[in-house]
Amino acid sequence: MRRVLFNLMAWTIVLVTAFPLLWMVLTSIKPQFELFRMPPTFWPEQITFEHYARLLWETPFLTYMRNSLVLSFSTTVLVVAVATLGAHSLVRFRYPGRERLAQLVLFTYLLPSVVLILPLYLLMVWLGIANSLLSLVIAYTSFALPYALWLLRSFMQGIPDDLESAALVDGATRMEAFVDVILPQALPGIISTCLFTFILSWNEYLYALVLVNTDEARPLTTGVMSMLVSAFNIEWSLLMAASVMMSVPLIIIFAFLQKYLTRGFGAGGVKG
Amino acid sequence: MKPATNPLDRRDAWLGVMLIAPSVLIFCAVIVYPLVSAIYLSLFSIYTPTLQGNFVGLSNYAELLAGGEFWHSLANTLIWTVCTLTLQVVLGIAAALMLHQAIIFRSLARSLILFPYFVSTVVAVLVWRWLFNDLYGILNHLMIWAGLLNMPLDWLGSMPNAMVSIVLVGAWKYFPFVVIAVLARLQTIPDNLYEAATIDGAGAWGRFWDVTLPQLKDVLLVVVLLRAIWDFKEFDLIYLMTGGGPLIATQTLPLMVYKEAFGMDAMGRATAVAVAMMFVMLVFMLLYLRQAKQDAAK
Repeated sequence: MRRVLFNLMAWTIVLVTAFPLLWMVLTSIKPQFELFRMPPTFWPEQITFEHYARLLWETPFLTYMRNSLVLSFSTTVLVVAVATLGAHSLVRFRYPGRERLAQLVLFTYLLPSVVLILPLYLLMVWLGIANSLLSLVIAYTSFALPYALWLLRSFMQGIPDDLESAALVDGATRMEAFVDVILPQALPGIISTCLFTFILSWNEYLYALVLVNTDEARPLTTGVMSMLVSAFNIEWSLLMAASVMMSVPLIIIFAFLQKYLTRGFGAGGVKG
Repeated sequence: MKPATNPLDRRDAWLGVMLIAPSVLIFCAVIVYPLVSAIYLSLFSIYTPTLQGNFVGLSNYAELLAGGEFWHSLANTLIWTVCTLTLQVVLGIAAALMLHQAIIFRSLARSLILFPYFVSTVVAVLVWRWLFNDLYGILNHLMIWAGLLNMPLDWLGSMPNAMVSIVLVGAWKYFPFVVIAVLARLQTIPDNLYEAATIDGAGAWGRFWDVTLPQLKDVLLVVVLLRAIWDFKEFDLIYLMTGGGPLIATQTLPLMVYKEAFGMDAMGRATAVAVAMMFVMLVFMLLYLRQAKQDAAK
């Protein structure tokens, strides 16, 4: 009996927490007139996908989506490639200043982006690449690279030294040992880091707000908000449909790759 | 693992330097240069649209410290950080303890609890602004229906409601971070500690205070420091929920930086606010770095 009560209470709390997200989905499939009924209906009396159709064909949503995909993929590939080499160096090589560097990485990982953003903005203007996806990729490395380096460093510290030593004894060079021994061992960590970097870039708002003000280069975050601002009367069902679409990559990651997320958390976010 | 006995030592130091070089170069370009540049820019008075400016020395800082707005924003930042952080920690520990128990569909429950943390702030804000909507928002309807309110409440447009609202949304969005950290730690607390406590006659509360909390102490310290740093510099959530309003009642320091730079067109003064803010944060950052060093030494 106590078990049942506890389960009931626990699930009530879980559902209250998840309610805003459920409400987002429900609102996005209700016809417009149903939103303004008094009292409001909980389950839609009539399910419609007209908002999704309008979103895709009558707004620049698809352009934003494409921008976000290009941006997040480029940032992830660039950052994870550079950070994998860097983390390997921080963990397996010894040279003066190495510990200092590791400390610096952690420090920059905590740095507020509002401090960096104004000089970066001036830099982009000066380079003549403001208002482009390239400028955003460059700006995103400022928070994604420290994060990825730190995460990968924690993962790679967990790989035993003996494995690489054994390969070296067998006559492999350092780079061969890295490719054949370390990379396969670090793969789960690399996947986690990719997912986190992708999510970070996908959700980023401030840099996109400051560095880009044309629809051609706007990612989803600022793009969808500009739909809210420019609309004469706010169309909530359209915005909720946009929110659902924006969360699709996350839902995919959650459904299939969640173990990599929790693992990444253990390595970087918490242990420090 | 000891440096002295590691056969990989020193031999290939140059290769190690080559491997870290791309990271260091990018660091210099997107972090070190902007950081130094920010401090330099804060000594100038710069008009944003033309980016022309002249050297004014420390007068940006003098103006800030003499004016009321900086202090007001700093106070707002502290209120927001302390309130939302407290809620995050309390809710996070409670939810972690709950999810640690055997409940049906536990992994689904965990996913649902974690989702707010990973969802974009833009999505979170849109959903909450719809929930908070004064005419058609479900929150007002539910509360009137339950008899908690007589008439619709203006959640975002008046004080103190606006501050309460962003604190609540911040807690909702970020408490899963605490959940994940605490949950991972809970799984490593040995059962025999609880058995011993039970034999000594401790009830559920006693076991929580005497066994669970002391075991969680270290992880909580790290979590609190990290979240304090991140909440302190939060921009997206507050900017998108209230824009700092009504007037400047919920304007925190990051919002003030943005407003000075692009609302007031005073780029120099904006960087001065940002640099000042960074120095306030430095206390937390150094504390965290020290803690991380200690943990690594263990």
